[in-house]
Formats: sequence, structure tokens, C-alpha cells
Amino acid sequence: MNIEESKDFLVSTASLKEVRVFSREVFEKLKLEQDLKDELVLAIAEAAQNIVKHGYKDIENTNDRMEIKISLKDGDLEIGFFDKGKPVIPENIQHRKLDDIKPGGLGTFFIKQIMDDAVFKKDQQKWVNHLVLTKKI
Amino acid sequence: MSYKVTEDGNISTVYLNGEIDMDVTEKAKEVILPIVETGKEVHLNLKDVSYMDSSGISVLIESHQKALENNTKVVVKEVSKSVLKVIMMAKLEQILNLE
Repeated sequence: MNIEESKDFLVSTASLKEVRVFSREVFEKLKLEQDLKDELVLAIAEAAQNIVKHGYKDIENTNDRMEIKISLKDGDLEIGFFDKGKPVIPENIQHRKLDDIKPGGLGTFFIKQIMDDAVFKKDQQKWVNHLVLTKKI
Repeated sequence: MSYKVTEDGNISTVYLNGEIDMDVTEKAKEVILPIVETGKEVHLNLKDVSYMDSSGISVLIESHQKALENNTKVVVKEVSKSVLKVIMMAKLEQILNLE
């Protein structure tokens, strides 16, 4: 089954639940196994959280919106994240070492564990950042 | 997220309910950390937590570390399958006190 769905959300921690609901609804249509659905929802939620937490760091009560697009074509799952936050410098993104036990720094690690690839593309005029997560399913 | 706290001697049990994400971590910490700081043993019952992300994991780590500072411990109990997967993904099953 091929599918393409997108939805935009207010950039806010309060939107994270809505992001999960949207993701679950899409993956429900794809009839994926529950474990895989849970992992994909976590990866999407972590990426959305990174936009709120880092892209809009020190910015409170923004009216900006972020868009999430989920598409599956011939077994290639692609999840796009579009935002107008601070420009991401991919080279500066790194998760903490797992043996350095401290709160924080795990979101990007989870994304890398779950997805095959995570790339920031510079192909958007309308948006500042465009993150693309991909996975063969 | 909702919660309930019960007391039994020197053990406080915090029952968390719902989904633990960045939107509710401050609330979760406001419930858990003050109890830990009293030096009581805290049991976190997660049987009704259906989802936890990296922010929730941070709450578990912070609670665990705060307990060590206060010479007590936090025991994480009745973890649901989906939350256990996230804990294991973070390779924390040997660090946190899981029961």
C-alpha cells in the first residue's frame, strides 16, 4: 500500500500528543506490526520534540507551525519534518554517549536506532529546516 | 498524565498514568523529586503508562540520581512492554532498579 499524508501543528510541547495521534492514525492504515508502529511513532515524536526544544529554544508562545509528511511508496517509508525555527547545523547534532548516564540527549539516539537514515535537506524556500527520516519497511 | 501517591511506612508509591512526554515531564518531576528528597524510598508504578519518550526517560534518570544523592532508591515497577522497550533502547535496564 502506498500512502502520503501530511498535517501541520503548532510548535508547542502541547502539540506532541497530537503528533502521535496523527502518526498512529497513518500507521494504522498501513497495518504495520504494533512494535514497528510504536518505534516509528517514537521516532516521529522525538524529531518533533527536537523542533520544539532546539529549533525554538528561548522562543516562547510562537504561532509558528511545523509540518509532518508521512509517505510510503513501494516499501520506502519517508517522514518529512518542516519548520521555520533556528537553522539546524547537522554537524553540531550529536547524541550523548550512552554510558554517560544523565538526563537528556537521547532523542536523536532513538531516531538513529529506529530509522535507516536521517538527513537535513536544503530544498525548501518556504521552510527553514527540512529533516527527512527514511526506513525500508 | 495523571498520578496518585500512596504511603506505606518509608515507601512512597507514585502511580503514573497516561503518556509521559516533554509536555508533562515538569509535572512528573514536581511530583517525584520532592518525595525522593525526603529520603524516602520511592516506587514508581508504570503499569498505566502507555507511552514514554526520551523526556520521560530523563525523569527516570533524574529521579534515580537524586535518590542516590539522598541515600535512598527509586524502584521502577510494573513497566509496560512498550515503555520497557524504550528503557532498553536507552540501555538503562541495568542502571535503573526495575522490578
